Amino acid sequence: MSADVTFRGVDFAFGTAQPVLKDLDFQVGNGEFFVLLGPSGCGKSTALNLIAGFEFPTSGEVLAGGKRIEGAGRDRAVIFQDSDSLYGWLTVLDNIAFPLRVTGAPRPERRERALASVKLVGLHGHEGKYPAELSGGMKQRAQLARALVLDSPILLMDEPFAALDAQTRSILQDELVQLNIHMKKTVLFITHDIGEAILLGDRVGIMRAGPASAIKEFIDVRLPRPRRRGSAEFGELYERIGQSISDEVRRALQREDSLLS
Amino acid sequence: MRTAARDHHGRISWFGYAASLAAVLTLWQYGSSQALIPLLFPSPISTWRTAVHLAQEGRLVTDIAASLQRIAIGFAIGCFLGVALGILMGSFRTVRLLFEPYVQFFRSLPALAWIPAAMVWLGTGEESKVALLVYTTVFVIALNTMIGVSSVPLNQLRAARTFGATRWQLFYMIKAPATVSYMLTGMRLAMGNCFATIIAAELLAPKAGIGYLIFSSRSWMQTEFAFVGIVILGVLGLLVDRIFHLATTRAFARYLPR
Repeated sequence: MSADVTFRGVDFAFGTAQPVLKDLDFQVGNGEFFVLLGPSGCGKSTALNLIAGFEFPTSGEVLAGGKRIEGAGRDRAVIFQDSDSLYGWLTVLDNIAFPLRVTGAPRPERRERALASVKLVGLHGHEGKYPAELSGGMKQRAQLARALVLDSPILLMDEPFAALDAQTRSILQDELVQLNIHMKKTVLFITHDIGEAILLGDRVGIMRAGPASAIKEFIDVRLPRPRRRGSAEFGELYERIGQSISDEVRRALQREDSLLS
Repeated sequence: MRTAARDHHGRISWFGYAASLAAVLTLWQYGSSQALIPLLFPSPISTWRTAVHLAQEGRLVTDIAASLQRIAIGFAIGCFLGVALGILMGSFRTVRLLFEPYVQFFRSLPALAWIPAAMVWLGTGEESKVALLVYTTVFVIALNTMIGVSSVPLNQLRAARTFGATRWQLFYMIKAPATVSYMLTGMRLAMGNCFATIIAAELLAPKAGIGYLIFSSRSWMQTEFAFVGIVILGVLGLLVDRIFHLATTRAFARYLPR
């Protein structure tokens, strides 16, 4: 089954308010790592909610694997920015096995597959802990392990590293790159961090400042992996994307000022 | 985990409680000695003597058992109804819209106001007393449970939906366990209500009970009986609350916020 994602002429508004997204059009190819980059409030998380099936477009269509999205589904795993999506009353291992409990897999299989997922993200030794006992980075690892346990072909990541300290963030970014070299998932990754976008993405879509946002520009990142943050090519790309996005950030700030005054 | 610092702190606070208790008892003793008619303001010593006397007669145990049994039955029924109502109100918007105004209305209306109605409808037997205790239990538990169900983090439910969870799975795998701590808070408040209401309930022609002990004293000018009843009720309320809290925090530890 193909695991591509398509947005075709998508508008989205909450009720009768100004539209958050207007005529959003893009496609993520099978096995592609696509990064949606934009200033805060530009509606990038809303785009992710549409593909996840948590929200529905006001007009236009969103497709996964060629099929119109009817709601959330096992073909699309989500990793949230906040680790509050982990279940506080379950241990790390039970959290990771949770999707298999939902699907009704037998207990030994649940354990075996959850342990495999634990190993994949480097959480061994923490299986018996509760989420509240984990650091921020470990919590996001647990979320990733849980998202991987059903082996969904599409991964949707909503600023998963934004709340972490810089060191932990950079370690997790590198680990994600290593992981996806083997997994070859179709990934839609949301971020406002230019460096993160270049480090991770095959392609970056820069969004305009909201409201009525859509993609302003696509940029191919043709650097071999693993990428080095200090390299000259990295710096050039950073500069170029930075210029493109700073106009949007300025517009977003101006809008906030005018709202405040 | 028990730490040295905490043990030290614990000892200090126990010493503090003991000192404060001694001071209050002394003050009480002094106050009653200053009363014009000692009969109307029994001292702690005479209250203690009366308690011992009542205990020897066997009456004290009967009264305590009668009250606790009523509380246990009313509280249990109230918990069951309150949790069920709260879950329905938290899960379904229409149920919430339909019931919340009434739950809020009755929550602040004391059981005492229902005594005449309870007497007319249910008579003066056990039914009316238990009904008042159920009444004082249901609404506070329903409200807390409702708040719990509706404050489950959205991401927890969304994540489960990506795993393909059905409505029923969302309920028993997430909403129910995520709400346990809210239910327990509601139950603790309700237990307090029960101890306040039992006295009112036992105004209804009782044969035994702490409320009976307190009210029967009036007709014989035996003020000591009332004081024995007051002290016992207060101590029981405190003990039951501590036991409930300790037992539930141990039994449901994984469901409580850390």
